[in-house]
Amino acid sequence: MVRALAAGIAVMIGFATAATTVEAQQGYQTYDQMTDAIQGIVGDSDVASVTSIGQSREGRDIWLITLADDGDLPAEDRPGVLMVGTLSGDLVSGSSISVGAVEWLIDQNGSNEEVTRLLSRNVVYVVPRLNPDGAEEFFGDVEWGRRGNAWDEDDDNDARMGEDGPNDLNGDGAITVMRVPDRSGDLILHPDDPRFMKEADPSAGESGTHRLYIEGTDDDGDGFIAEDGPGGVDLDRNFQHAYPYWEADAGRHMVSEPESRAIMDFLVERVNIAAMLTFGHSDNLVVPPNGQGNLDAPRTFDLIDWAAASNDGVFDVGVFPGQTNFGNLRQRGAQPGANNPPEQGQRPVMTFNGQDRPYFEAVSEAYREITGIERTGYNREAEGALFQFGYFQYGIPSFSTQGWGLPEAEGETFEQRYLNAMEAEGLDTWIEWQPFDHPTLGAVEIGGFYPNRTVGPPPAALPGLGAPHGEFIARLGGMLPNVRFVEATAEAIGGGLWKVDAVVENTGYFPTTIAHGQRNGAVDPTLVQIQIDADDIVSGDAKTARTNRIEGSGATAGYSWIIQGSAGQTIEITSRAMKGGRDTITVTLGGDR
Amino acid sequence: MRTKQTRRVVARSGARANARVLDRVAARFAVAATLAVGVSVAAAATPAVAQVTSGSDPEHELIFSWDRWLDSDELNERMEIMAEQWPEFLTLETIGQSWGGRDLKMMTINNPATGDELDKAAMFIESNVHGNEIQGGEVVIYTIWYLMENYDRIPEIRRLVDERVFYLIPSVNPDGRDWFMDETGSGGRTGHVPVDSDGDGLFDEDGPNDLNGNGVIEQIRKYVPGQGDFIIDPDNANGLRPVGPNERGDYILLGSEGLDDDGDGRVNEDPPGGYDPNRNYASDWQPNYVQGGSMNYPFELPEARAIEDFMVTKPNIAGSQSFHNTGGMILRGPGAAWYGDYPQADVRVYNELGENGERILPWYNYYVVWQGLYAVHGGQLDWANDGHGAVGFSNELWNGGQYYQSPLLREQQQDEDSPIGGGRGSYFFDDYVTFGRNYVEWAPFDHPVYGEVEMGGFRKLQGRVNPRFMSMELFHRNMAFTLYQADEMPLMQMGEAEVERVSGNTFRVRVPIRNDRLMPTILVRARQYNTVRPDILTLEGAEVLMAGWVDEHNFDGTVDRIDQAELDRILVRSGAPGRTTRWIEYLVQGSGSVTIEYSSQKGGTVSTTVNLN
Repeated sequence: MVRALAAGIAVMIGFATAATTVEAQQGYQTYDQMTDAIQGIVGDSDVASVTSIGQSREGRDIWLITLADDGDLPAEDRPGVLMVGTLSGDLVSGSSISVGAVEWLIDQNGSNEEVTRLLSRNVVYVVPRLNPDGAEEFFGDVEWGRRGNAWDEDDDNDARMGEDGPNDLNGDGAITVMRVPDRSGDLILHPDDPRFMKEADPSAGESGTHRLYIEGTDDDGDGFIAEDGPGGVDLDRNFQHAYPYWEADAGRHMVSEPESRAIMDFLVERVNIAAMLTFGHSDNLVVPPNGQGNLDAPRTFDLIDWAAASNDGVFDVGVFPGQTNFGNLRQRGAQPGANNPPEQGQRPVMTFNGQDRPYFEAVSEAYREITGIERTGYNREAEGALFQFGYFQYGIPSFSTQGWGLPEAEGETFEQRYLNAMEAEGLDTWIEWQPFDHPTLGAVEIGGFYPNRTVGPPPAALPGLGAPHGEFIARLGGMLPNVRFVEATAEAIGGGLWKVDAVVENTGYFPTTIAHGQRNGAVDPTLVQIQIDADDIVSGDAKTARTNRIEGSGATAGYSWIIQGSAGQTIEITSRAMKGGRDTITVTLGGDR
Repeated sequence: MRTKQTRRVVARSGARANARVLDRVAARFAVAATLAVGVSVAAAATPAVAQVTSGSDPEHELIFSWDRWLDSDELNERMEIMAEQWPEFLTLETIGQSWGGRDLKMMTINNPATGDELDKAAMFIESNVHGNEIQGGEVVIYTIWYLMENYDRIPEIRRLVDERVFYLIPSVNPDGRDWFMDETGSGGRTGHVPVDSDGDGLFDEDGPNDLNGNGVIEQIRKYVPGQGDFIIDPDNANGLRPVGPNERGDYILLGSEGLDDDGDGRVNEDPPGGYDPNRNYASDWQPNYVQGGSMNYPFELPEARAIEDFMVTKPNIAGSQSFHNTGGMILRGPGAAWYGDYPQADVRVYNELGENGERILPWYNYYVVWQGLYAVHGGQLDWANDGHGAVGFSNELWNGGQYYQSPLLREQQQDEDSPIGGGRGSYFFDDYVTFGRNYVEWAPFDHPVYGEVEMGGFRKLQGRVNPRFMSMELFHRNMAFTLYQADEMPLMQMGEAEVERVSGNTFRVRVPIRNDRLMPTILVRARQYNTVRPDILTLEGAEVLMAGWVDEHNFDGTVDRIDQAELDRILVRSGAPGRTTRWIEYLVQGSGSVTIEYSSQKGGTVSTTVNLN
């Protein structure tokens, strides 16, 4: 099984050889290829169906695969797992992994006990490609790491749309970076490895010799290079938690995009979704939240960050002094009114709840055990990410991963370690610096990382990643809360009165709500309702009893009512756990006392 | 079903007319009139009415009644009548539908003879986002009507209409409005997207019930001698007051009139809607546990989304007003302190408008939302300012202090022993000024859950909505404030250029660029967030060697050189400040005519052409 993956990518690639025919087609897939693959896999399966939850800006359907076999409950009442791939256009791998996982789950249903239980007790929702328009750019002639969807954004706010994107100057099919000798720059060639740059440290007697730019020209003659490429909203920066306001790739506002709305409306409608896994640039699955409730530190590529920083001054151009003339009359300012303190009111929770941490650790352990992934590579700070919404606002266990691991390697900086690891695996992620005569900058060098190869697994690894992620989904589904009646009894206590007792049990691993889901009120309390006229309840619990949290692993909750009734009467008691299913039990009032 | 007792009295006349006669004519025609007939009323009525040519105060073209409250159909009907009456200025559009399928009607006021709509700064006025906060709808109708009626009479109004554009929506929550107007109106603040308020997986399944069929959701009290929390006020038979420390009460309050509709043992726990439509905007939007009623994401609500979809097509919107009630406030953002106050230069613009607003609107106070009222996350105000770069206010219409306005009566209200003190003021007012119209006397009722109880209390219009007879002043003064704000929106002008030959075909060209209104073309916050396109200064017809802002026009002094790569297309991200004139100086080479244009989204586009010779 995939557990042998500790060695990392090399082993993942090994899986390609063992792949089935369909798996072999699951490299990076265009939208049409992916659609065909889904149709082929789902086909006439009676446990899977494909529907569309909406259209992208360019009109592509956003596919939803629903996996559910026959079971006690209708699918929409069962605890569900949602898996979402390719929120960012450069992570097309997420689609392949998701579809591969679907294929594995369908294949295993009926033979694998965990999967069989998953599809009869739970429901699995898979949106393999939330950002189909962005993903199509991945297959263009020039590789440039586009993450956004098809929205046009005037990135530099100069009333010209997308007028100065990157240019593949040396025709190598990739947008990399340019380094330019410039004594006003603050970078120097890295003394240990001149493929890389470092910031000059004046206190160590260093002074800058170079600047970095994105590969391109100043197409619009505004003095900046590649500051306004084809726009696009990176959907994994468009959601409601820790939203990066007013940044061009985050959209005009939270959930501004049709694709984001489609998944959000789906989540709102399917309140039975009890856990979520997304394939994204940030990780909380290989490395769970730490003791302070924070995610693993971001790791990014300095070369790319510094090149992008060459355009930082674009918004300073055209800011002139001078302000409105307010005259000489007195200005008082707003009146204090109620004079509330500035700190009044609640603030959003920004760290994972300590009570939830053991559950995240357990899931992380299961993920690492199943996939063999021990460490992650590039890790973006999660801002406006869907999985963060899932935990902080939707109130469920919610995870994000790139779906592959980075082998261990030497290196001072992350990008050095990364390149060394890739080279050790024989993976081609780097373009050596080449001299180029730039029209305005003169003699420059162009080189650096292939933009689409710095994130996500290489295509050869993909066929081997579906099965372990399918297995992980089955494991995760098995952890979801599952609330069922254990028993219900009725005891006559005389005078036409009965004492009715009922006990429910949560046989899942997760509690009926994680601590934060209770804290933020997103998860309803578990309701246990005795189906008699409220007037017939003499004492005890309310007709509708509410229990905020029932622990998992077999914890129970008991309810008790004193009611008036008549011997032989059958009474129904129902339960509803928002994330743990519904159940009904009946009890007949006996006549023995 | 709702039935209207009388038809609306709407009459029109092309010329001056006698209002009383017209009312009667209109009423007669209106008996069987549909909306379409409303138009024919005019045609039929005009010849039937004696033309009044005398009198110092000319009659209006359209005669509306202002002393009754309108439901959303009636608001829309008035909008349609006005659009037909003044077609050269008014355009009525439907910008979307509410959840319940009601049209969201939007009126544009624009004089096409003075320029294209998007080339003029626009004032956006909306109302009634909270279903029970109705008066703003009538303020909007009044504003359209007033501007049109007085265009030919009051030069200042003509100038304002000619210079500006207005976008007006009388009700952005017509479902809520009609629930409040045409149904019992209980819990009227919300919109009507179903929400599972009690967490049982069912939606809006247990709202209040009008048990005695009188059209009012009353309060329920139960007589429990010696065991309650309330007693009847000995000085006011209708009033209950809480018991003191050593008293025993005779009554308990059992909430609003209703039943356990869903049989879960609770009464009225999942009424229609159950959210706050003014927390669904995208600036500082917060989830429900931080900001109750915000829904799941910004612009989830169809009404808020329709408004946003409309506003993004109108970057000329420079001012915004969202009418609410109640309390007599002129509110500015931010809604929450920890989201960060506005930049100081923007605050001073708000201060000048807000403080003059207090002078236009006696009984109204200028507050910052979080400080003076309470924290609001995701409100329309902040989104107007942050998302659209428009100066946004929200007026809380009607101040309860206006029931007893004089210093003498205000003092008496504080006196426990006065007939209008000790909480008795609203009863007194209703008894003697509105003749008991707003009160339902307590009466016994056999309640299926609570047994023998009494039901009664104030009707829905009491308190938050002004008495009808006080509407005209409220309408006019609030309109006046929005017109004042509209007048202070940026307005770009370009003065006469000065041309001087430096040598050969090299010329120095100086042009004054002026914004003589209070608001800048770009708020500091809009620049920081890049929500407004920069102003753009272009020169066509010659080569620009150098450009700069003239430090001191009266002296041949220095110029602040503009360090931009494209001097024939200068970006002005900081916009044109208010009440300032700036001179741009170009050094150009060329001959013939040169055109200099200053283009702004919120203050219009102006240009001048000079000849190099």
